[in-house]
Amino acid sequence: MSTALPLITAEDIVAGLDDLPSLPAVVMELLNSIDQEDVDISVLAKKVSYDQALTAKTLRLANSSQYGLQVKATTIQQAITYLGFQTTRSLITSAAITGAFPEGRCPGFDDKAFWRHSVATAACAKVLARHIRFNQDYAFTAGLLHNIGRLVLVSSFPEHYAQALAYRAQHDCSMLEAEQTILGVDHVQAGVALAKHWNFSDTIRLAIANYSQPEVAGAGFLAALIHVANAIVCALDLAQAVDDMVPRVSPVAWAALGLDEDVYLQLFRETELRYGEITAALLS
Amino acid sequence: MTTHQLLPLEQIRPGMILSDVLLDARGQVLLPQGAVLTENMLSLMPRHGIEMLSIQAPPLSPEEQAALLESYRTRLAHLFRKHDPADPDDVTTGLLLSYASHYRLNTGAAA
Repeated sequence: MSTALPLITAEDIVAGLDDLPSLPAVVMELLNSIDQEDVDISVLAKKVSYDQALTAKTLRLANSSQYGLQVKATTIQQAITYLGFQTTRSLITSAAITGAFPEGRCPGFDDKAFWRHSVATAACAKVLARHIRFNQDYAFTAGLLHNIGRLVLVSSFPEHYAQALAYRAQHDCSMLEAEQTILGVDHVQAGVALAKHWNFSDTIRLAIANYSQPEVAGAGFLAALIHVANAIVCALDLAQAVDDMVPRVSPVAWAALGLDEDVYLQLFRETELRYGEITAALLS
Repeated sequence: MTTHQLLPLEQIRPGMILSDVLLDARGQVLLPQGAVLTENMLSLMPRHGIEMLSIQAPPLSPEEQAALLESYRTRLAHLFRKHDPADPDDVTTGLLLSYASHYRLNTGAAA
């Protein structure tokens, strides 16, 4: 193993955030407003349409059969009319975030597998949410972002992260444990720091903060949902990462969803189908 | 067991078999599971905004099937390598393993 790098502190993470790529201003506005109902939709729709790449990606996602549109949406305004503002907002932010981070900055970090895992978790969380009548847009967005702290660490401290990856491979431990050993901080902390920096809503920030320990007091239901979705994605091998490992599943989170085997088998299938479609729309 | 693959519409030919029930936006059944797709059905898909379909893969020989199941078994064991079935505090992970196994290997009553 190469020489030990100095440990990173929470302050270092925050200091590094300013150097991260920024999201389009309109996307920040959308992320910040996720808990608000009174947003001027037409103004936002117009602003999004100025970004052609973002618009194209959003519409590709909106027109995937996941959303079952009878008529193709060809503009953001149409997508809002057909799918509603909440859903369209989650599509726009997903489309923006999946393209925001530069790839290949850290040797050994598989960006593609990272996004496959994130998109699969988003798909699974949405399917789970539908089964238990929870807000599907929150579930999708939180699923997509639950691991975003990894990208923060990879982008700000690539050398450290390369060592953490090596440590993980050597000890076959969880990534969280490797991060804590080598960096002194982990992707959950980094994710929360980014959530504050980018003004994610409290709902999403709480889910990022607690998905790996959904049993702590005040973790929130969304954290439990993402916890289970994350484990399912590993169990179904959707990210196709060679060393993937199913984390210990929290009995509290599992019980909170309260689903039985028949339902799980059905939603495994749905998750696989949805995942295929969303991957085609977001990652191609 | 049936294996399935998600294919874009362009790659789907008449005669292929739908591996899943196909629903429209309102959850109405368009086609049942096992439907043999025809030229006519395929031409109607774009109207429903459908771009991909889940298609039954051609049946495998017994040897291929055994090899596939074995590879799933090995992979599941690898993915769940940190799970200790004897740990009374970790029953939940065991449940997920059992469901995932039933799903992948098509064993158990429900699948």
